[in-house]
Amino acid sequence: MREATVAVPLARPLLSRRARQRLSGYVYLAPVVVVLGGTIVFPILKAMHMSLYNHVLIRPQEYRFIGLGNYARLLRDETFWLTLWNSLVWVFGSVCVQFLGGFAAALLLHQSFRGRGFVRTVTLLPWIVPGVVVALVWEWLYQPNYGVINDLLFRLGWLKERVAWLSDPALAMPAVIAANVWRGVPFFAIMLLAGLQAIPDEQYEAARVDGASVTQRFVHITLPMLRPIIIVATATRVIWTFNYADLIFVMTSGGPANATQITSTYTLLMAYSNLDFGYAATLSVVLLVIMLVFTVLYLRITRGIESVT
Amino acid sequence: MDDRWYHSRRQFLRAMAASGALAASDLAWWEAPLLSPRRAWGAAPVRFQFSVPEPKRTVLVESLAQRFNQSQKDFEVKVEFVPQAQARQKLVAALASGNPPDCCQVWDNWVGEFEGMGVVEDLTARVNDWKHYGDTLPIAWQTVTVKGRILSFPWVVTNDAVYWRVDRAREYGVKPPKDDWTWDDFLALTRAFTKPENNQYGFGMRGQGTWAVLYATEFMYANGAQVLKDGKVAINSREAVEALDWYLALIRKHKVVPPSVPTDGWRQIVEGFGRGITNTYIHNSGSCEEQKGFVGPQNFATVPLPVGPAKKRASFYFSETLTAFKNAKNREGAWRFMTWLMDDEPNFMYSRTLGLLPARKSIADRPEFAKDPNLAGFVSSFPFSIVSPYLAYAGWGGKLDSEGVPLFQQAMVGRLAAKDCLDRFAEVLAKNMA
Repeated sequence: MREATVAVPLARPLLSRRARQRLSGYVYLAPVVVVLGGTIVFPILKAMHMSLYNHVLIRPQEYRFIGLGNYARLLRDETFWLTLWNSLVWVFGSVCVQFLGGFAAALLLHQSFRGRGFVRTVTLLPWIVPGVVVALVWEWLYQPNYGVINDLLFRLGWLKERVAWLSDPALAMPAVIAANVWRGVPFFAIMLLAGLQAIPDEQYEAARVDGASVTQRFVHITLPMLRPIIIVATATRVIWTFNYADLIFVMTSGGPANATQITSTYTLLMAYSNLDFGYAATLSVVLLVIMLVFTVLYLRITRGIESVT
Repeated sequence: MDDRWYHSRRQFLRAMAASGALAASDLAWWEAPLLSPRRAWGAAPVRFQFSVPEPKRTVLVESLAQRFNQSQKDFEVKVEFVPQAQARQKLVAALASGNPPDCCQVWDNWVGEFEGMGVVEDLTARVNDWKHYGDTLPIAWQTVTVKGRILSFPWVVTNDAVYWRVDRAREYGVKPPKDDWTWDDFLALTRAFTKPENNQYGFGMRGQGTWAVLYATEFMYANGAQVLKDGKVAINSREAVEALDWYLALIRKHKVVPPSVPTDGWRQIVEGFGRGITNTYIHNSGSCEEQKGFVGPQNFATVPLPVGPAKKRASFYFSETLTAFKNAKNREGAWRFMTWLMDDEPNFMYSRTLGLLPARKSIADRPEFAKDPNLAGFVSSFPFSIVSPYLAYAGWGGKLDSEGVPLFQQAMVGRLAAKDCLDRFAEVLAKNMA
């Protein structure tokens, strides 16, 4: 007896082939979305939520929804406006000098010379050292009574009285900016050096054949070719510096007399000294908005990166 | 290789053993050395949070906990060390989230805040029956009494006095200060001690942290001022302004302080004296042991704060407390551990090792404290020591640091007159009387 084989149709898949193809991309993205959502989006939303409440940790009985009350308080808070101004001085003072120093260092390191590898490594050192260690080292260097800087200036005969670098309101901000510049120069040096190495030599040779001077080559080849890197590096650095509280917190704690109090250290002070989490969250949200506005404007002014690349 | 630089394994092991013995000798008081960990499997855990300003305390407190664990079988204390700078916020966060330690070491100026949160265990009834209640200084109980309720044990107490360099006074032919010295004597001493050409200054004034405000306030009290008068903030009174003016003149007019004053915190004033930069400073007995190591016990002494024009003076009294919490999981274990820490030997050794003054009279009367010449200034200050007036309102705690200190710093650098500084400070205090 012969057995007949009956063809059984395959079970119909739950999703069509096209839908599965579309979904697979999202499935691959899901872990990233979960991680970013949990570590970035949720804290931002939580901070926004907290900023609408009177949330002082030591007064739990006064916890209540106050709408935009914290934002109104912020507008009246003289210290906040002072810290905002200090932040601008701190950010632009630091980033401008870091950029110029980093650019000069990158141009030097791009040249061929004996021991270049060693010099490149040494140039990186300030960037490798943790921020808190940098702050402690500079705090000691600036120490008016037994710091190296005053001692050297005394020996050179340039000082008659000891200078309190971090205790004089007029000098404290330039002093912390100088420490930050020292730390940040390698960042620009590395980024710009990488950019310089990516510029084809043929372009320089062609320009040289055409009789272009060093300055012309720099202005018409180097700068335009580095433009995307300059934009990304400065934008990143501005955002980092705006939020970078470690250095100031360790060196001066925002003093003397709020002379170095930037908005991020002020936020820390409100959160961890006053335990006023609602107001600290408000400051954080405002910082976020300022940085968003800056980034959008900056990219618009510099015409973005895409158009250049 | 040169034989002198060659070490055999045996020599190395001997050196290691010697180092271990030296380290152990730091805690030679330990009757039963810690040869083995405690083995009480059924013991209920007790969480004890301790904030650490210096490494020495870690070893000491760990030893105390082990000692307690070995002394009984019902409880096992586990110490949670927290850096001092973060201790307050970590504890408040733990309390707010309903997961506090069973007990902890806190400064008395935080106790009011915790009481305001409604989280502190009221110990009044049990403390009244406690065997050493009467032996504890009444003023020490005041520091931990809020709204008539005793909320903590005053573990050790501190008051302020002036540290001064005996050897430098001898070197410069300066008359040593006496217990009843005045502001004029203080100024004369700090002037004589100021030798900028030698990088030496008469007075290590504090400009950063809460105590920058407190030390200045002590001078205001010496001029008859008060923080609160008839329930109202009076820190901007004429007496207070005059005193602050005089205090600030030490910086601006007399220049007897180092130029770093506006940012000098506790560490800077202690180290400035230890390194020989300053020749006097105000602090509690907490840095006494450190100075014995820095400048030598024979080279410094302590003296009470000087008497002001109003023929008054005040030294603010604080205590390091042992506090338990309502929501703690092991309240009985916390009580047992805290009372054990207040017992004779643990309390004596904690205070002695750290150079702090015990809150218990019978221990404070021991010659190690009463006869220690380096502590004499603190002991002599007891008659006019008062509980810090800033403990009056819990809301003042954080504000002193975040708003008070910047105001005083502005006055120190000459951006605010004493009157403006105190007017604005009074506003801050008045706004936060809660």
